[in-house]
Amino acid sequence: MICPVCNKDMFVIEYKRVELDYCHICKGAWFDAGEMELLLETAGLKDGTQAVHDVLKLPEAHTAEKKRRCPICGKNMKKVIIGGEKGVMIDACFQHHGLWFDGGEVADLMKIVSEQAGCKKETESEIMCFLKDVFQG
Amino acid sequence: MGALLVFIGWFIGLVFAANGIAGLVIALIIWGIMTLVAYFQGDNILLSVAGAKKISPSDHQQLYDVVEEMKIASGLEKMPDIYIIDDPSLNAFATGRDPNHAAVSITSGLLQKLNRDELQGVIGHEISHIKHRDVLLMSMCSVLLGTIVILSFYASRMMMFGAIFGGGGGGGRRGSSKNSGGGGGAAIIILVLAILLMILAPLFAQLIYFAISRKREYLADASSALYTRYPAGLASALEKLEQSTTPVKNATQATAPMYIVNPFRNKLNVNNLTSTHPPLEERIRILRSMAGGAAYANYDQAYRQVKNTNSGIISPQSAAAAGTVGLRAAVAGGPVEPPVDDKVSRTRDVNDMMYRMNDYKTIECECGAKLKVPPSMQGSMIKCPRCGRAHQA
Ligand SMILES: [Zn+2]
Ligand SMILES: [Zn+2]
Repeated sequence: MICPVCNKDMFVIEYKRVELDYCHICKGAWFDAGEMELLLETAGLKDGTQAVHDVLKLPEAHTAEKKRRCPICGKNMKKVIIGGEKGVMIDACFQHHGLWFDGGEVADLMKIVSEQAGCKKETESEIMCFLKDVFQG
Repeated sequence: MGALLVFIGWFIGLVFAANGIAGLVIALIIWGIMTLVAYFQGDNILLSVAGAKKISPSDHQQLYDVVEEMKIASGLEKMPDIYIIDDPSLNAFATGRDPNHAAVSITSGLLQKLNRDELQGVIGHEISHIKHRDVLLMSMCSVLLGTIVILSFYASRMMMFGAIFGGGGGGGRRGSSKNSGGGGGAAIIILVLAILLMILAPLFAQLIYFAISRKREYLADASSALYTRYPAGLASALEKLEQSTTPVKNATQATAPMYIVNPFRNKLNVNNLTSTHPPLEERIRILRSMAGGAAYANYDQAYRQVKNTNSGIISPQSAAAAGTVGLRAAVAGGPVEPPVDDKVSRTRDVNDMMYRMNDYKTIECECGAKLKVPPSMQGSMIKCPRCGRAHQA
């Protein structure tokens, strides 16, 4: 998989049997739709296949940040804010291929998760908690 | 069906003859070249465009076993090659001009999603396309379709040219450049005919093409039920295809150029089901209504029942020849795993196979994370993003 920011090869990190693609240059991470499905269904959430669909339902965020292209289909992705009002802005593929988290976004996200009281059994929360789990070190 | 195709070809040829035989000859040469390319190179082109990788038994033992079982059940003499396509969408297809030069291809996405019974159902369907030489039939049909499209386009252009500049009856070369009063009416008739032909011939050809294609799909479903003796397996696989939201990666770019010369119809593809395949929901209902046996006769009966019709889909001869075949129970595969664990294992197995085939190296970090490194990054130091430990890749 090629990093949508640096255009360089990413490597894969597998944790708790779920994979992320990680760019060691910009520290961004790609969360594939299929992997998200595994994570959510392992957590006992009913329909993991809807994860990207749910995120895409969020309103388009107004920003000057450059559009990112999905590393799978190469099409422009949608910018949305997850994790509530003061959440982080991420990119979601309109074709449901997955979600992209910029390097800085992962760090912001970890801050938000640690401020919250634990993880809720709900799509966004599970995704953010998993990312924190992977990158906590 | 064939007669209708020949008729269209003949009709276009007739119209062409009025304007000059050269166009017909050129079109026939095009058809000949396209047929030869489709016959000898079609599979290679298709497989390289689709980014397929040939696998050996050790790459994915279960898939190999399932293909071998279906090869034996169908009575094929030669084991088809097996290809994996690195694509998250759900798709499978058969290629090969005859049963001795055949291959089954499946996307990594579909391989991850299906359990053994479902995989067997899908492979049974594809093996039927090989066994019944559908690939050759459909590729010849699609070449013919492509030729008709080109022919009618070319023919109508020629006629319009002739009608506008030729002043009626004659072609451009023979006609005079000034319009005579009597030629006007004939010109309009020819123009109307040209437009009708341009619109109708390809549509007509396409309809016939789809009708043939649909019939072969029903037959492949019926054969899959027969080979596996478990129609519920394919039914359940089709249900997963129906629910899938993942579109085919680069579907248009990759497949559109192949359309004319290639049998890209013989596959289970959600995107194409509306046209070349019968509705998924109907195919599922037929398979689910099969009662009392897995023979062609049982499928035919279920087909009539679901379609509420008296005419079956399987010819009585082949139904009789296949005899009676009982249904089998679902495969009890060792200790029963919860479905989600099963799904996770399948995904990890298929992905790890893809990594092995692409020469990735796996590093197990002490923190519990596994790092899978592509060849381009091997030899450099990799920092585990979880714990920060450095590894030599
Ligand atoms: Zn990067
Ligand atoms: Zn995409």
